[in-house]
Amino acid sequence: MADLTTIPETLTRQTSSGRLVPAGSIAGLCIAATIAGPYLLDAYTVNILVRSFLYAAAALTVDVLWGYTGILTFGQAAFFGIGAYAAGITFTYMDFSPQTAVLALVAGLVASAVVAGITGWISFFHGASPLYAAIVTLALPIIFVQVLYSGGTFTGSSSGLVGYNTFDLSVEAWFTICGIGLVLLTTATWFFVNSDFGRVLVAIRENEQRCTYLGINAPRVKILLMVVMAMIASVAGYAYAGYTVVVAPEIGSFVFGTELVMWVALGGRGTLIGPVLGTIAIDVTSAYLSGNLPYVWKLIIGSIFVLVIVVLPQGIVPVLKSGLRRLWSAATGRDAVPGVAVPALSEAPEARRAGAGSDAAALAVADLARSYGSLKVLEGVTFKALGSELLGIIGPNGAGKTTLMRCLSDGYERTGGTVAMFGRMIARTPPQGVVGFGIGRSFQTTSLFETLTVAECLRLARYRLNKTRMLSHAPTLALPASARHVITATGIDRQLAIECRHLSHGMKRALELAMVLALEPSVLLLDEPTAGLTKSERTLIGSILVDLVQREGLCTLIIEHDLDFVREISTRIIVLHQGKILLDGSVAEVVGSELVRTIYAGAAQQRPAP
Amino acid sequence: MTALVLDIITTAAILFAVASGLLIILGVLKIVNFAHGGFLTIGGYSGLVVTQLGWNAWLAYPVAAVAGILLGAVIERFIIRPLYDRPLDAILATWGLGIIIGQLITIVFGREIQFVQAPITGATTVIGETYSLYRLFLIAAAAMVAGGIAALMNATRLGLEARAVIMNEQLARGLGINSGHVRFVTFCIGAGLASLAGALITPLSSVDPNMGVPWLVNAFMLVLVSSVSLVSLATAALTLGGAQVLVSTFISPVIGGLTIVVLAALLLRIRPAGFGNG
Amino acid sequence: MSSTVLEIAGLNSGYGEAVVLRDVSLSIRPGEIFALLGKNGMGKSTLLKTVLGFLPAIRGKITLFGEDVTSLPTHLIARKAIAYTPQEQTLFQDLTVEDNLRLGLRDDRGFTEGLARVSEYFPIVGKRLSQKAGTLSGGEQKMLIVSRALLGSPRLMLIDEISEGLQPSMIQRLTEILLAERKRTGTAIFVVEQNVPFAFSIADRYAVLKIGEIADDGVAGDELAAVRVQDQLRV
Repeated sequence: MADLTTIPETLTRQTSSGRLVPAGSIAGLCIAATIAGPYLLDAYTVNILVRSFLYAAAALTVDVLWGYTGILTFGQAAFFGIGAYAAGITFTYMDFSPQTAVLALVAGLVASAVVAGITGWISFFHGASPLYAAIVTLALPIIFVQVLYSGGTFTGSSSGLVGYNTFDLSVEAWFTICGIGLVLLTTATWFFVNSDFGRVLVAIRENEQRCTYLGINAPRVKILLMVVMAMIASVAGYAYAGYTVVVAPEIGSFVFGTELVMWVALGGRGTLIGPVLGTIAIDVTSAYLSGNLPYVWKLIIGSIFVLVIVVLPQGIVPVLKSGLRRLWSAATGRDAVPGVAVPALSEAPEARRAGAGSDAAALAVADLARSYGSLKVLEGVTFKALGSELLGIIGPNGAGKTTLMRCLSDGYERTGGTVAMFGRMIARTPPQGVVGFGIGRSFQTTSLFETLTVAECLRLARYRLNKTRMLSHAPTLALPASARHVITATGIDRQLAIECRHLSHGMKRALELAMVLALEPSVLLLDEPTAGLTKSERTLIGSILVDLVQREGLCTLIIEHDLDFVREISTRIIVLHQGKILLDGSVAEVVGSELVRTIYAGAAQQRPAP
Repeated sequence: MTALVLDIITTAAILFAVASGLLIILGVLKIVNFAHGGFLTIGGYSGLVVTQLGWNAWLAYPVAAVAGILLGAVIERFIIRPLYDRPLDAILATWGLGIIIGQLITIVFGREIQFVQAPITGATTVIGETYSLYRLFLIAAAAMVAGGIAALMNATRLGLEARAVIMNEQLARGLGINSGHVRFVTFCIGAGLASLAGALITPLSSVDPNMGVPWLVNAFMLVLVSSVSLVSLATAALTLGGAQVLVSTFISPVIGGLTIVVLAALLLRIRPAGFGNG
Repeated sequence: MSSTVLEIAGLNSGYGEAVVLRDVSLSIRPGEIFALLGKNGMGKSTLLKTVLGFLPAIRGKITLFGEDVTSLPTHLIARKAIAYTPQEQTLFQDLTVEDNLRLGLRDDRGFTEGLARVSEYFPIVGKRLSQKAGTLSGGEQKMLIVSRALLGSPRLMLIDEISEGLQPSMIQRLTEILLAERKRTGTAIFVVEQNVPFAFSIADRYAVLKIGEIADDGVAGDELAAVRVQDQLRV
């Protein structure tokens, strides 16, 4: 067992302030630029840029939702529009004053938050398809615009509202305010997406289902994110209304919504800086070119967009970045790859595991059934499992073993029967809730997060138990002893900074096991944990599992095809055949059973004439 | 009353014709063709070309279909095929294509609204109501489209292979079906259908470079609610289209335009399979 | 005219990073019935899937009728006078029996003749042509997929665990039919199985796959060999 490692105080401070200084200086430079801007640029450009800054803010929200979290949304335009119309309507009918200014801002924020909350609730639920969310966000601006049309003269219908009184500021002042606002927003967002919580967003994008099995309530995260991004977009819209003194349905339309997505795609989704700079660049260029070649310019942008999607899906900025990086290494002879901060592992305090001290069986399954229409995959499955039992589940292909695990870990999956843990029914709880009951499930095919590092994956597994930082990376990572045992015994502790996609298959399986253990489960469900492993890796995993069951008293269910392996480590075996339990008994009973041998080796006595 | 019923039936017929191309592409290729609106527009402008050239107005339909098929072939080969395993990106790319088509049409034909000569004009009397002959013709047209697709799917080898690919592409390939070819042909047919639908609907109002967009969203919602079944699509067109007509007539046309979108979104939330069999 | 129907040389294959097959080599001669035996999870299905191109070969070479098919796309391999009966996802559940059968041929030529032939083997197939395949019983579905495979008179059949879940009488019938087809057309048959008695009653030669490697092979002749292989596969 490795010793606890601690980072000296000075190093810790360096790590967190390591990013603050460069980020702060860049932000400072940008702010200086926005102050100097009006004096260096001509009036027309300054005028355009104010608008571009606000569009860039909206594009930033799209990038956070789509680029980082994987929520394709055409709806941010609607929130921009809500903020703008809140201002337009208030100033038109209640005239402009400091009080109405605040009122309009708050009204826009509240309206967007409510609409975003409803949209999120409709779109993000257990089993929702990402396509459905995209559709709902598409419908949002359409509905918004139709509502505006039906508002008649009150909302100005198709021509909108014009000429209301607004803030008494010069164009230069607007420029500086919006510029500084954009810089601050971008900086804050940058810290946010580069924090531990930012990794959660990326994880949701890469494998939302796995996240739910790690106890992360992905639907709730997405809804909250949508609400916050909507509010930010509405502030941008509010400023837009205040500046241009015109609000028309176009700014909340789905054409604008899709333009935002296009700018993010072109700038580089998931890079934050890309969409911001890209939006500003495209908007300014459009302003200049559309005077001369209006339709051709849109055609060009459209064509570049399609080209980027097909050929360069990561966008233009990342390509530029890697190009610059290569120039840098060629020029200096050094690699410009930024170092990855690796947390120090520490001991997690012994939390009370679910069901500790309870007399009830760890797992009680009664009459479990799962059918797809008329196809019965599981039928009448009934058994109990206690702590300190290592239950091997075997059976031919198609017997229903993985389906059984699904039904145990996801309350929505089964079509009949009950599952209870320590006496509590899991009812219709989604996976993230069942994790709270104490279940930890590993998957048959390595279901990890490609671009996340080993350390980040482990931290993900601790989401439910440790607080996740929203603006920085925590310098330590607390893991329970069992997870740390797996990590050190398999050697992944030396690979904390490696991205999952670069791990060998054996290492991925070890990481999967460590992550499940990091959940501090009371019941472990392992689906073919040794698939594809070499003999020595198999032996190692086997000994770790036996150790865990005996030392920690974990109730463990393990699906396996390697019958020798199962025989060695199990205390009890359940044989599943065509969806029903064929036999449930000790290892000796099952191995010696004639019935089981028949199922596995075919009709033993039949010998047809050649 | 008769007028209302006829409105519902003709609206359903129009929606069905417009959405059918999108449905077969979604079923076989498993992607949403957001350039559908662009194809509708091309169909409309094919009609305009036929009118401007002084040809027989009936020629608008075959011209539109051919234009759609040819363009569809090019798009499938160069845009859709590379995005085989990136369906959300396919939505974006086809949306971009829609923009490109719209801009090209604007450059060639100009922005103004223009009118197309319909092959059938005038009205007739149906159960005591005077009703547009062309709209009644559209019922027959939609029925022919439905019949054509059904015949293709059920009575031809291609249709059999397409149905196999819809159900299980992996198994189909294992039996020697060139699924890439099936996808290609299906996309061409779907594009051709969209274009034909565009030619069918133009005489009802007019053409402009963005005429396809409002239809796109409605067609999209209908297709999602139909879960890859022609019968479900017809049902959806009738139910949701009917709802739209009722809302437009009795509440307001503007809100009526939202009916399909809102109802479809709610229906899908409650029952993800929509009108289909899951 | 090559001397082997199927030749696999030094094959490595697997899923992503997981290498399931290691250095597998075997060859099947024309008209020969070859059985590949092994327990669950040992890589038998992986081998068939790699031969058919569903999985890319990491290393090694696959030769079919003398042609290198290692990197050929699946649908082209499937068109080469071979018939494949997969273990899972075998039928289009919502298509009729007749439609499922039609898909066993490249086009409708020879369908009537083929249908008459397989209806003789499996009368029930001929009687249920317009029924949806998903409504047939498990055993009937197996009959259907064998019928589909036999329709095109292939020169090589790849059969993945067909005997699983079948009654002894059905297995007997299957054995007779496969042997009769081999006699009629001289087709080679590659049978992947866990059922040793069935495999031995039909095969000329055999090999045993253990954790992705060939552990044993030989002539499927005597009872001794059968017992030894049975031992290797025991629970």
